[in-house]
Amino acid sequence: MSTARVAIVQFPGVNCEAESARALARVGLAPEVFRWTRPASELRDFEAYVVPGGFSYQDRVRAGALASKDPLLDVLADAAERGKPVLGICNGAQVLVEAGLVPGGGTVELALARNRMPGRAGYHARWVYARVEASPCVFTRALPKGVLLPLPVAHGEGRFTSAEPGRIAALLRAGQAPLRYARADGTLARRFPENPNGADADIAGLCNARGNVLAIMPHPERAQDLGAMCRSIDGGWGERRDRALEGMNDPGEGPYDAGPGLAFFEGLRRHLRES
Amino acid sequence: VSAARAKRRVVQAWVEPASDDPEAVSATMVARAHLPAARGVAALRRVRVFELDGALPDEAGIAALLHRSTQFYNPHKERCHVRGSAGEPPPLRFDEHAVLVWERDGERRPAAERWWTHETGRSIVVREGVAWAVRFDPGADARAGLDGLVVLRDRRHGLLCNPHAQEFRVGDGDVPLPWFPPSRATRATRRRTES
Repeated sequence: MSTARVAIVQFPGVNCEAESARALARVGLAPEVFRWTRPASELRDFEAYVVPGGFSYQDRVRAGALASKDPLLDVLADAAERGKPVLGICNGAQVLVEAGLVPGGGTVELALARNRMPGRAGYHARWVYARVEASPCVFTRALPKGVLLPLPVAHGEGRFTSAEPGRIAALLRAGQAPLRYARADGTLARRFPENPNGADADIAGLCNARGNVLAIMPHPERAQDLGAMCRSIDGGWGERRDRALEGMNDPGEGPYDAGPGLAFFEGLRRHLRES
Repeated sequence: VSAARAKRRVVQAWVEPASDDPEAVSATMVARAHLPAARGVAALRRVRVFELDGALPDEAGIAALLHRSTQFYNPHKERCHVRGSAGEPPPLRFDEHAVLVWERDGERRPAAERWWTHETGRSIVVREGVAWAVRFDPGADARAGLDGLVVLRDRRHGLLCNPHAQEFRVGDGDVPLPWFPPSRATRATRRRTES
């Protein structure tokens, strides 16, 4: 069986393509950085897509707004329609939402609005807990419901919201929110800083109804190594990190062993193998 | 009636980059290339608009205060035009249509308000949005063009305002002053500053 090719769609200003490629390669996929200057038609040949984080087009007009108009997004929309997996991370999530690929159907139904934080404004970076919810999402459906994944966030516009009354509630009911911000004890975040941006219903990630397109604000590719995890993270993942760092020269668990973020890429590999 | 209440008024500060604005250039290119209804857009200018609401000094005094703080603008890179009354024309070309876009419930600038209070001893309300000045090709349907350019609906329609997080107001003909509608939070603050 040949290795599945995954395109990492790079717009100018994107800055997470290298770590996204490394995460994909680690789980046995074949990543290829696909720059915006290439013909859009060449993007059709891939089996899955990652739209990575960064600041596409310098966040001009609004984060993700200009990239969402690029002809490459027409290819991604077509691929999504045919069931190919598409993962948008942070700025990539903003692009997918602005393009109407999430929650799907092509009409823009959401915004990733400016962070709403008490007593502060602007860009905010920290580690958070994302709780996995029951969902058809191909990237997370193999994970047990309720499991906590410590992941970093770093953004100024990450607040999932909709002006349409009841839309967010409907997405929750449909299982299209596979990730929600939580506290260390597993309960929903409810407020800052556990919910780092004021997102409606503590939503950290949304997918389309079919589950093959996921937009997430946390950065799983930055949490692919145990040793990269923040010291503030405790629980099982924190213990593994401490063991990894203490035993850096031991043959056992080391700082470059799989961290919590790799689960999304494992989920993608599993889905591609099964489909 | 307090003295502050008697003098209360709203002025606008229009802040524009002194050199070519890459954001406006990009928005123009994307509109022309990818939004069918906005192909007639000839050029876009992006102007940050502040509205100051409270007991204010004269226009020269306001301009001097704004010039001193990067809460408002950087005089090395931007220029500022103070518009003191609705009778004064805004800094727009005769053939430009203006659209104000702001973050829903996020137009207030608390840090700028604190700076103003620190400098003057008076509390005011500061709101900020982006005014897009749109010029169309000769013969283009401006109304259809604005419709296709402003409100984001899908990949082929709208760019400047995502209605799920932002509000907009078109300044057809005369640009109103005030341009922002009073929000509930703004009205509450105004009551506090006037009492």
